Parts: sequence; structure tokens; C-alpha cells
Amino acid sequence: MPWLLLFRNLFAHPVRSLLTLGSIVVAVFLICFLRAMVGALEAGVEASSQRRLIVQSAVSLFVNLPTSYQTKIEAVPGVDSSMKMQWFGGYYQDPSNFFAQFGVDAERLLRAYPEIEIVEGSALDFEARRSSCIIGEQLAADFGWSVGDSIPMVGALYPRADGSTWNFEVAGIYRALSNNVDDRTMWFHFEYLERSLETGGALGPGGVGVFVLHLAPGADATGVMARVDALFENGPQRVQTTTESEFQRQFVTMLGSVPTLLSSIGGGVLFAIALATFNTMLMASRERTHSIGILKALGFTHRTAFALLMGESLLLCGLGGAIGVAVALAIDGPVRGFLMSYGFTAFEVAPSTAALGLGLALSVGLLAGLAPAIGAARLRVVEALRFEG
Amino acid sequence: MHLVPFSYNLRSLFVRRSSTLLTIVGIGATVAVLSGVLSLQQGFKTLFTSSGREDVAVFLRPGSTNEGDSVFTLEGTEILIKSLPEFALDERGRPLAAAERYLAVRRQKLDGGETNVPIRGVQPMSYAVHAELLELVDGRWPAPGADEVIAGSALTGRIVNTAIGDVITLNTTPFRVVGEMRSEGPFNSELWGDAERIGVALERPLYNRVVGILREGASVAELARRLEDDKRVPAKVVSELDYLSGQTEALSIVLLFLGSFLASIMGVAAVFTGTNTMLASISARSHEIGIMRAMGFRPFPVFLAFLSEALLLGLLGGAVGIAMALPLNGVKTGTTNFQTFTEVAFAFKLTPTVLATAVTFAVVLGLLGGAWPAWRAARMRPAEALRRG
Repeated sequence: MPWLLLFRNLFAHPVRSLLTLGSIVVAVFLICFLRAMVGALEAGVEASSQRRLIVQSAVSLFVNLPTSYQTKIEAVPGVDSSMKMQWFGGYYQDPSNFFAQFGVDAERLLRAYPEIEIVEGSALDFEARRSSCIIGEQLAADFGWSVGDSIPMVGALYPRADGSTWNFEVAGIYRALSNNVDDRTMWFHFEYLERSLETGGALGPGGVGVFVLHLAPGADATGVMARVDALFENGPQRVQTTTESEFQRQFVTMLGSVPTLLSSIGGGVLFAIALATFNTMLMASRERTHSIGILKALGFTHRTAFALLMGESLLLCGLGGAIGVAVALAIDGPVRGFLMSYGFTAFEVAPSTAALGLGLALSVGLLAGLAPAIGAARLRVVEALRFEG
Repeated sequence: MHLVPFSYNLRSLFVRRSSTLLTIVGIGATVAVLSGVLSLQQGFKTLFTSSGREDVAVFLRPGSTNEGDSVFTLEGTEILIKSLPEFALDERGRPLAAAERYLAVRRQKLDGGETNVPIRGVQPMSYAVHAELLELVDGRWPAPGADEVIAGSALTGRIVNTAIGDVITLNTTPFRVVGEMRSEGPFNSELWGDAERIGVALERPLYNRVVGILREGASVAELARRLEDDKRVPAKVVSELDYLSGQTEALSIVLLFLGSFLASIMGVAAVFTGTNTMLASISARSHEIGIMRAMGFRPFPVFLAFLSEALLLGLLGGAVGIAMALPLNGVKTGTTNFQTFTEVAFAFKLTPTVLATAVTFAVVLGLLGGAWPAWRAARMRPAEALRRG
């Protein structure tokens, strides 16, 4: 195999090779990026625990359940424990400072979510003080908060009657061990919210958004879901119990066809780039006709002629694919950070994505090289030498 | 100054037709992706903005951005409807204004899965206020005080139990579907029924908005100023047109961002391909260029000739791209309006704006790809060019 000749050929038209390389880099990068994006949208669903169930209103996302449901639900066989969880919908200083805040049964949080690991401060402290909260590492870093700080929050959904802000003291900082919990959430006492509503200190919807159920060991999830739903079949509020992943999925499906759209765009990109590479390889083979005739006249085999053109195509695409994957991996971190501030926890160019990108690039190389390489192998010396292309 | 005849370029594109075709399809794919995303954005935006009226005022709770967030007490709505002199009157002297309830309710889709369908509780006068936007397709309007609903025609065929004669259950109360209505705007994806009955069924004692037609000469802006700090019923007043455009902002920004991101990355690849094609086609024609120059054509006309060839490639690519995107026009899709978390159905729309953007983009791609090769062609020295190839 005349490697030197292969490289010479590749550099015979440096501009053209570079431009082709460039388009492959761009395509592979885009495909990796889009796939990571689709993954980020669906990550919450996949990372969810199968042992956790969510009870929500069967009527609407915006209807709360009576808090009195909790004792009834806990009496259902197969339910180990339950936790109230309410979306607070507030913001710090400006509505654009987006992060999630949930009011929960503080003493049950770490049991319901073993994925939450306190790294600073203490869980006991959080449970003991009703106006305290715990916050994610990333959130603490973004706003420079540390244990002991008091965070003034504007209650958009739950305005305080006197127009002041809510104040939550940071009792602990946590790290999320799994993708279904993000590092930018604030967890506080549901009781604090409930008391403020009862005493008229704050306004807003009563009741609680969802109950998080933890299944008893060995309990059958389907059976428990059916039993909980049956409990309130005739009102006052019908409920819908699902696994946590189904619950998360309802938010993903709201995006409608966006994930499909992203995937089909990936297909379109690949198609366009494949065409571009075919184009380059056709041009290259046309120019090589004469020189391949000479090689063959000198005694090189058909196989070498085939390998020469196929090698050029594969090398170009392989290199382009590798660079594209490298660029995608390089931006992985910054993009993840950016998306995290919008609540998507898991943008990641996974090894499988990198492999896919590289594989696709090589397939394009193989396909684009095939016709010219076969042409070169079949070329008859006399014809080739006559050709002046 | 003599220009190179355009037929020369036309012929050369035809002679190298496989190369030309591949380039055109490459540019076409890029343009198709851009047009696809833009027509999605336009379809969504048109749905909301085509039906809003300037002389219809929407009253919301101060600080809320949509009817899902907004609340009024029954007394509040009555004060607004009866006391404001700005409302137009019907033939019996009653103000053309109504209070409405609005809630996103969970519904099953016919093809599986769950979605959030907006349900609107309306007063008898609502039908008169919105008369211009509504059209009865089949059946009849719900009777006042009855447990009946009418479904927008985008719901029938998509959502379970929305055909005439079906019964849908809201929490625990059954409602009969008695009609199908059509509207150019978002009402087409809504369920409508009697406000009182829906309030009882869903346990929603509060109303969400007041909407009314203003008499000639009354101004929304003036009303907005007066009610902003009103002692009895403070309200935020916007025209229906502004209200509906406001609903599209978030999604529009996301789609525009996605569209321009994809188009610029794919555009880079398309420019690379275009440059490649032009370079190859020019180097194959060195001899001809030498002849042209020897015949007395100045460098600038040669530059122009090759640039216009690239321009033509771009235009053809644009045409192919639009042709590829054309089947999308009118295709129905659904997405979530993230202001209210409700699903709306709409169709892709290849508006003149989309077409103009697509063609401009294709031309720019062609020119960018052709500029450097054309400049190289123009700078060839006749003697050298004649000696080559």
C-alpha cells in the first residue's frame, strides 16, 4: 500500500481537502450536539426511580390536592411513606433568575430522595428550623450563597400579604447523585408555606401539588397506583398516580414534536454532508484517472488502485469525524452549565454519541469512496492514459 | 467593458451536471431545514396573531401575563362589566363584555398519551364578544346553565371523547359534547361550556379574565391607565391582539434561535461545498479562462461571470430547498404554549417572509462560496492559464 502516495493525493488540493474536512467536522459536531440535546430533554425521565410514585390531581396540572389526603394515602397497603411537594414559583430579585423551589415535608425529604447528599451544613439543622432551606451546589455557586445566609425570595405565586419577601435561611448545601434531581433547586418546609397561608401572612392556592410516595419493599407499583386512584374515584378531587418517570414524561411530551424534529434535522445534515463528500471524491477520482493509468502501467494492481481512492476518502472522513467529535466534547461542559440554568440537568456528549458520530463519518467515507475506487480498479490502462481530465 | 455572456456559465453548469446537482442539493438541504423551522414559528405565531382584535379589551389581574395566572372574584368581574362606560352595547343595551374561567385540564390523546387541553367557562355574552372569531361547524352551542360543552375542531380527531354526542368527565361531573366550532385562532383547540357549571365541576370559585368589545372611540391604553391603580378592581388591560401576540413570544424566541443556530452551522458546510465545486469547475476550465483573457475580456468581467455562476447555484439550491420544505406547508402539528401549559394545534406555514428569508440565505451561501474561486479565476494570467490543463 503506497501510503506516501495516498497522503500526496490528499494534499494535492489542500484547499479542497480542507474544505471537505471542514464540512465533515461541522456535520459530525452538529449530529453529536443534537443527540446530546435530545438526551438532555429526556434525561429526567430515564434517571427516575421506579420505586417512587407521584400522586397528582387527575383533573389538571394547576389543581392542588387537599393535604388531608396524606394520611389516607399512607394507609394504602404497599406505601412505605409519603411526602408533600409544592412548586413555589418564586424568584430571587429578578424573574430571570430562574431556579426551582419546592416546599416539602422536610424530615422526609432525604428518605424520599436518597439522591440528595448534604455536603455542607446539616440535615438535622434543616429539619429543626421551619424557615430554613437546603440548596443545590450549583445554585450556591451561581449566587454565591453559603450556609447561614438568608435568601430573600419574591413569591410570585404566593405573594406575602404585606408585600415583603419570603426569607429562607440556608441550612445545608446538597449535591445531586443522579440526573433526575438537579443541582439548582431550593427545598424548604411546606409547613412554613402552609402556616403563612393559614395565618393570612401570604396569599395563594391552598392544598398541595403532589405527594411523592415511596413503595414498601416488595410492593407492586401497579397495584399501589390502582389502589390510590380508587381511593378518591368519587371525589372530592380525583387523583392520578404514576411512576416518577411517567410524571417527568408529561413535561417532555409537552415539547411535542421537538425531539423528533431535532433528530430529523440530524438526518438532513448527514444527507447534505454525504452529498458534499461524494462530490469531492468524484472530483478527486476524475483528476486521478491519468495518474492511476500510469500506476497501473507500472505494474500496480487493481487492488492498490482501489485502496488508494478508498483510503483517501476514509482518511478524510475519519479525520473530520474525529475533529467533530473532539469539538463536541470540548463544548460539552460549557453547554451543560448553560442549560442547567434552564433546568435541563443532563446535556452530555456520551461515549455512544461520540462513537455514533465517528461511525457515521466513516460510513460516509466508505460510501463516497466506493464508486471512485471501483472505477479506479476497473480502469483500463490505455483508456486512462488517453484521458486528459 | 465587455461582459462574458451568461449562456457560457449556464452551459458549464450543465456540462458538469453531477457536481452541480450535488452542490444544489447540499444548499437545498440547508435551506430546507431553515424554512422548516421558520415555518413552524410562523404557523404558531399566525395562529395567535391572526385572530386578535384591536378593539377587544382583555382584563387580567395586575402582574399576570396570561389568563391561567389571572384571577378575579365574581363581584370584581361584575363591577368591571357593569360600570365601565367604554364597552359597546348590544341591541338590548347590555354591555358586550363577559367574564371567563380558564383551566388546562388533562385529557387523553386518541393516539395515546396525555395532554393539557384548555377549557373555557363562558357566559352567554362571550359568544357575542367573540362572534367574529367563531363559526359553528356542527351541532349547537351549549345551553346556559347546562352540563354541556362545545369542542374546537382541532380537538375532534385528536383528543378522546370530543366528538358530538360523547361525554367527557371534569373531575367527577359528566358534560355532554353538543357541538363543534371552528376558529382561526387558539379557540380552535379549546373546550367551551357554561362558566357557572364548569366552575362548580372544577371547584374553581374565581374567574380568570374579563373580555369585552370597546365602543368606537374608546381606547385600550386610556382604560389601562385608569384601571392600573383602581381602588375597587385593579386590572391590567391589554388589547386582544397584544394579549395573543404576548403568548407566542417565548416559543418564537426558542424557534428563531434554533433556526438560526442550525442554519448558520449548516450554512458553513454548504459554503465549503460551494467553494469546492466552484474551485474544481474553475480549475478544469483554466484553459478556457486563458482563452477568454487572451480574447480581451478584462479580469472584472471574468470575476462577475464566475460569481454569477455561483449565484445561480445558490438560487437553484434555494429553489430546491423550498421545494423540499413545501410539503410541510399546511401539515398540522401540536405544541405547548408554555405561557399556559396548554397544547395548541396549528399548521406549518411557509409564509412570504419564510420564502424571502430562504431565498436570501441561499443566495448569500452561493455568493460566499463563489467569491474566492471567482477572484482566483479573474487573477489568472492568460499565458499561464493557456499552458495549463
